[in-house]
Amino acid sequence: MSNAVPTVSASASPTPTVARVRTKPRLFSTLEGVFNEEVFFLILSVFIGIFSGLAVVCFRLAIDWMHLALLGPLPETHSWRLFVVPALAGIVVAVLVLHVFPGIRGSGVNQTKSALYIFNGFIPFRTAVGKFICAGIAIGSGQSLGPEDPSLQIGASIASALGRQLEISREKLRLMAPVGAAAGLAAAFNAPISAVLFVIEEVIGRWSAGILGSVVLSAVSSVVIVRSLLGSEPLFRIPVTTFKRPSELLAYAVLGIVGGLASVAFAKSIGYLRPRLKALPRWTQYFQPALAGLLVGLIGFLGFPQVMGAGYGSMDDAMHGQYAWKVLAILAVLKIVATTVSFVSGTPGGMFAPTLFIGAMLGGAIGDIERIFFPQLTGSTGTYVLVGMGVLFAGFLRVPMTSVFMVLEVSGNYEIIVPVIVANAFSYLVSRSLQSVPIFDMLTRQDGLILPSLEEEREEAILRVEDAMLPVPAAILNSQDYVDANARRVQDSRDSIFLVRMHPTGWNVISREQLQRLFREGKGELTLGSVLPSPSLPSLYPDLPLDSALRYVNDYPLVPVVNRADARRLEGVVSRESVFKKYGSRSTVEVPSAT
Amino acid sequence: MRIGGSQHPNDIVIRDMWWKHPKLIPRSAPVILLILTVGAATGFAGVSHLVSRFNANQQSRGRKLYALGLEEAKAGRYDDAIAAFRAALSCDPANSQYQLSLARALRDSNDPRRLDEAESYLIALWQRTPQDAAVNLALARVAAHRGSIENATRYYHNAMYGVWNSEPDANRNRSRIELIQFLLKENARAQADSELMALAAALPPDPNQHLQAAQLFEQSKDYASALNQYEDVLRLDPENAAALGGAGESAYHSANYVVAQRYLRTAVSANPANAENLKLLDSAEEVMRANPFHSHISDAERNRRIITAFNQAEVRLTQCAQQTGVDLKAANNSASPLPALQARWSSARPDLDLLHSPAETDLPDALMDVVFQIERQTNAICGSPKGLDLALLLISEKREAASQ
Repeated sequence: MSNAVPTVSASASPTPTVARVRTKPRLFSTLEGVFNEEVFFLILSVFIGIFSGLAVVCFRLAIDWMHLALLGPLPETHSWRLFVVPALAGIVVAVLVLHVFPGIRGSGVNQTKSALYIFNGFIPFRTAVGKFICAGIAIGSGQSLGPEDPSLQIGASIASALGRQLEISREKLRLMAPVGAAAGLAAAFNAPISAVLFVIEEVIGRWSAGILGSVVLSAVSSVVIVRSLLGSEPLFRIPVTTFKRPSELLAYAVLGIVGGLASVAFAKSIGYLRPRLKALPRWTQYFQPALAGLLVGLIGFLGFPQVMGAGYGSMDDAMHGQYAWKVLAILAVLKIVATTVSFVSGTPGGMFAPTLFIGAMLGGAIGDIERIFFPQLTGSTGTYVLVGMGVLFAGFLRVPMTSVFMVLEVSGNYEIIVPVIVANAFSYLVSRSLQSVPIFDMLTRQDGLILPSLEEEREEAILRVEDAMLPVPAAILNSQDYVDANARRVQDSRDSIFLVRMHPTGWNVISREQLQRLFREGKGELTLGSVLPSPSLPSLYPDLPLDSALRYVNDYPLVPVVNRADARRLEGVVSRESVFKKYGSRSTVEVPSAT
Repeated sequence: MRIGGSQHPNDIVIRDMWWKHPKLIPRSAPVILLILTVGAATGFAGVSHLVSRFNANQQSRGRKLYALGLEEAKAGRYDDAIAAFRAALSCDPANSQYQLSLARALRDSNDPRRLDEAESYLIALWQRTPQDAAVNLALARVAAHRGSIENATRYYHNAMYGVWNSEPDANRNRSRIELIQFLLKENARAQADSELMALAAALPPDPNQHLQAAQLFEQSKDYASALNQYEDVLRLDPENAAALGGAGESAYHSANYVVAQRYLRTAVSANPANAENLKLLDSAEEVMRANPFHSHISDAERNRRIITAFNQAEVRLTQCAQQTGVDLKAANNSASPLPALQARWSSARPDLDLLHSPAETDLPDALMDVVFQIERQTNAICGSPKGLDLALLLISEKREAASQ
């Protein structure tokens, strides 16, 4: 660590250390020896989970309180409150966003990802405060946004602040954001597995074993806190779900296709409107959230208050067959409109809950329509609603694994896993084929940032050692043979470098010149192994990434590639030329456009 | 110990931010963890307090909305009741009483689509407290709405043997009575009868409950058991008009016309305006007057009744033939059985003169057999008779039942 960074090490300053050791309680002295940074980081993850859980509980209380205060406990259709409150709240939110809490627009997922990859884990604590207040007002007043993504950012922000205060290493500080994000999302969703998967799929953007333990610990501890404070009531009362005949998977596949199309429409409408609204003069930004609120309020006022807010209650109603298919379809379309305008207006809030809402309504509508034409279908409306949730999640957010686990975790029902996987797969494929860039990547690119994406990583073929591997050389020398015997062996060979099989294991390398020099120096009667330097060559395995060969090819003219089951069995060799040739033959990756 | 690695020299963001944030935390891992623990505990306590206060406010609001919902449900405005219960539940989501009331309102709203939601609330409650009799009863009613005899019976039984908060015995009997009513409605007579037997065995000395049981036996067409229950009511409440009428009716349907006459007379004298009782009494008295097989009458009176019945049978036959446009003098191969009956009546007619002969002991039965056949056939062809014809038909049915 640089001089600017004070350490907690006792050895950094000898004199005070002695004094401190004398005065320190024995327990602390003992504990100090136990901790290293890895252990400390894991323990810290638990505390991040606890603090994030507490913050999310407060956030949920704030939203509920705002909702009660602004819209009342039982909002009635055609009530003036529905019409006026979201618009007025929009003005308040706009002023706060523009003057007090800049940088809290949007969902918060991208900001967290940016913190990880661009800002070394730095998320200002002010962001958490701003997100808490503004998203609380916006969602509580009925804007069509959800509390999950802001919770994710609040968690990440708390983690970042804690990491900075503790002055942990830059490497660890960078990882604090996803750890906090997982905690925040898990607390908001009451679903730790989905939160962990989402953070891996969307925030971290790549599988990283190093951080998995911390992410899981923080997610679990935040959920424990939320459940102990708010109870363990599930988000929905899960209806009886049925899946009897495999032929019914066709019905779910249709749902997946329609869901994929709806996801594309939703994503494209956001992708089209967002940059255009952002490009408008600054003064219009004072009114954009208000206008969005006015439109959402109008929808509520005209008879569809279900689209206001996160909409979990309405999802629950849909799950229990409270709406006819026409109402379900209308609600799905209106929610896409309401969420699009709420989100592109710059109002802070998340898209998780609206995505689930649209999926639920769409699923219910498709299921009911299918049953009209095919009465023999046994899936209940509730089953289609649940599957529909996952479908939009997979298609719109483009997190296929999270979408499956989210439905399973929320429903607690593994009977519907096959319909969920089938429908999600279709939705994901349709969405990917019609919209190449996932929504969160599209948003970051609109903001001028390019962040790693798990989806792109999956696309990208990895170069491996076997791709650059040359065939096994014809002449392989033996360390137990005499130098003159080996020299005779290579006489007719055109190669200038030869591999030497060492005894009992290992490989080495020798050039034709070196061999001839040894012979000239009268060392022909010595075994080759006795005259070669003792450190053997490093060896590679065919399945290793080609990057791993780069470490050796500059130092060694040939690097043996051996079998994993038998290190003496040579599969081939790589050289500097063969590796660079392979890299050179690879075309450069194009950066997709923002839309 | 040293927390933190080397800092990147170009790491402007991190270096810049340090001066903005005061370093409050001592640089020692155990101390840091201690402070974090204290902070977490304090935060937990603080947020707990917030949550409790919020929940208390919400619960208070929920109670008001719940009371409103109960009023609406009581007035039969189920849509408003459902909205109020939902709002109450949004204030206090874990309140099982609200859930139960919402489920009941959903069930009673006569909207088949709401049954699913009602059931899901109740199933959730049932999973938490499977022994709760009120929840089981509500589930039984949902199953009854769906017409599922198996599920309804299961949940009604659970309710009967479950835990009631008050009046367990009365509630159990009420549940069983509800089950019996459901089974009778679904024509599950055998199951209803076994439940009725169990009910009768467990009834306390309460005239109302015995009266209800008697009415259920009557619905189940077990008139003998119904009469027993009515008599139990009358033992406890001799002036009970419903029991007097019911006992008379049950005795009448059991063909026990003597007892029927006795109860119906008392019932009619207590309430002369009851037309049904009066009608049954007339009919019972007619049977008593017309029955030639009554044991306490003289031979002359018996013969007189047979002759009256025989003549009345011909009148009934003629009226029925006119009503249906059948010619009684037509050949025997007519599609209607009436000409054959007329022929049989005519061939038996001379036997009337032999009634006084002591040697013709089987003649009364033979003559009355003709009468009974005529009354049964005409009843089937021309509908229910009245007066003496009805009495003769009832006597016929009683004789037939006695012979089986």
